[in-house]
Amino acid sequence: MSRMAWVVFIVFLAGTMPHSAGAQMLNARRLGMGGVVTSDNGAARSANVAFRAVPKGRGYSSIPLPIGLIQYAGDHPTFDSNDPDFNIFEILDLAANPPLTLSLSKPSTVSSDISVYIARDSLLLDLEDVRRAVPKDPMELGGVYHLMGVGFGIKSFFVAVDPLIHVRNTFDLDPNLRAALRDAQPFTSDTRYGLSDAGVAQAAIAWQAGVAARALYVPAPDGNEGDEDDPSADDPRRNGATALYLGAAPKYLLGLAYGSAGGAGGVTTGDTLFGSSDPVAFDMTALTRHAEIGGDGGTGHGFGADLGGVLYWNRFEFGIGVNDFGSEIEWSTTVRRHVYSDSLNEFSTTTVATDEKFTSRIPATTTINVARRMGPTTVAADLVNGELHRQVHLGAETWVGMLALRGGTYRDTGGRWQWTGGTGLRFGGIGLDLAVATHSRNIEEKRAAELSASLTLY
Amino acid sequence: MRRAIAFFALIPLVLAGCGDRSLILTVDVLSFLDPADVSGPYGPIPGGLPLTTVDLASQEANLLPGIQDVTEVSSAKLDVGVSFDNQTGSADAHFQIFITSADSADVFSGTPIADIPVTLTPSNVTNVATEISSTELAQALVQDKAKIGVRATFDTTPSGVTPVQGTETITLLRATVITKKKL
Repeated sequence: MSRMAWVVFIVFLAGTMPHSAGAQMLNARRLGMGGVVTSDNGAARSANVAFRAVPKGRGYSSIPLPIGLIQYAGDHPTFDSNDPDFNIFEILDLAANPPLTLSLSKPSTVSSDISVYIARDSLLLDLEDVRRAVPKDPMELGGVYHLMGVGFGIKSFFVAVDPLIHVRNTFDLDPNLRAALRDAQPFTSDTRYGLSDAGVAQAAIAWQAGVAARALYVPAPDGNEGDEDDPSADDPRRNGATALYLGAAPKYLLGLAYGSAGGAGGVTTGDTLFGSSDPVAFDMTALTRHAEIGGDGGTGHGFGADLGGVLYWNRFEFGIGVNDFGSEIEWSTTVRRHVYSDSLNEFSTTTVATDEKFTSRIPATTTINVARRMGPTTVAADLVNGELHRQVHLGAETWVGMLALRGGTYRDTGGRWQWTGGTGLRFGGIGLDLAVATHSRNIEEKRAAELSASLTLY
Repeated sequence: MRRAIAFFALIPLVLAGCGDRSLILTVDVLSFLDPADVSGPYGPIPGGLPLTTVDLASQEANLLPGIQDVTEVSSAKLDVGVSFDNQTGSADAHFQIFITSADSADVFSGTPIADIPVTLTPSNVTNVATEISSTELAQALVQDKAKIGVRATFDTTPSGVTPVQGTETITLLRATVITKKKL
């Protein structure tokens, strides 16, 4: 596959994925609490580098149980396009919802007859059920994905190698095309039907060295620190101490590949849709920019940092973490313009620039969280602000002996409020957690429900 | 430039990969005829002739390309409506519809898709409406071009010496082809 083909493939893949309304969460304890971030619910270290310095609290690590695989084994879509039941929308939904959680309810599969009405000067497509899959608004997809990094720490210091991918794609139909596909409005003569797409994908390896340490600690007047019989005695979340933890981890970014493509295309109908003269005229232009290791432009180089802080006061927790702060990569890029000529029926590609300096940005993700612990009960909230979306999570957990009860809600990346609840049983240092949650991770963005299970290490 | 219209065909065909469903293609064949051919006079045809043929319309139509490649025809039907406003004479007429692929030399050379008998009497309007199922029709309409022919034949023997004449109007020619995907 050619280099440009890889760029186009990555951008296309991002554009054709279902309009995911947030990622699947496999930590049942955290999901039961609305997906909220706190310093002691497993996934927190990736949200705030300062959490690394905070003593481990309750439930510091989670092991997902992929209970959805059993369901998938008994009922899964066919991948054989020759099979009469082959349904591309089922497969796209599967990509958005890997079968790791148990699906409790989901929208009916997009599947219907398609009607096409043709007259000499009229064309109408009634996609029926499939209309629901045509987006009514521009589709914005993407995010910054930190893959399986490795690292180790000594006391307050740590080093890590963290591969990351940033993908963003915006796809839009013009009003004419959207009306024709989504509302079954007839195609008309002398009308342009267009679409546009702008995508960027970049991959890098972050070489990171950082420090996360306690900057302030004032014991509570009535504290019992050092009491070996009280597991909360040294935990600033619960012992009433005032404590401030700060973390900073600058990173060198080795850019592996960068590709962007922005373009628009469409067709303009003639004065008669099915007349003897030219029925439609195509137009398409696109501008691409790319660089890659071992190819055009080579590797990119840049810097960034993860920053964070968390304050404990009177059993309150206030945290703020910024990942990929100021992260930029400088590339030496090749820029090409692609234009389709309707009269020649061919694309022409012009190299606009080679080795043109270009600085890409890894967008920062900011996580602000607040929590309050009151005996066996924790109430928490967070705000996660990323490149495309702003998410809010609210959740609570209370323990009755060995049994935990949880509830929460969150505003997903599509702006819809989802609801969660769960329970857990703790047996010494390990616990089993279950969570039921609604979500809209499907092609139609309709409400569905899932059951998640995981083990928690206490 | 015919390739360009494939844009229209791609949309339903790509999306046709959604389960065991059908692509229902409805073609308003009448709209492809020249308006002057939709309604026009016939005759005067001398009485006593066993067979007089009048070609009412012959037209080539551009359709959706690519459908034949990705679908298999399940069924096809043609709804036909025609009106004969016969002024003088009597005849046993046949109203015939021919639809063939565009590469056929003469649209009228084959067997008609529809052959509708009509009895014409003086100063009488005869309306005919019928539905015909035809696999030949389906095969023609899933191609990117088709030829459409409309013919009327008259047996004026019943008219004696009175010539037959009047006005014919085609009111409906609508084909419906149901296809299954062949991906």
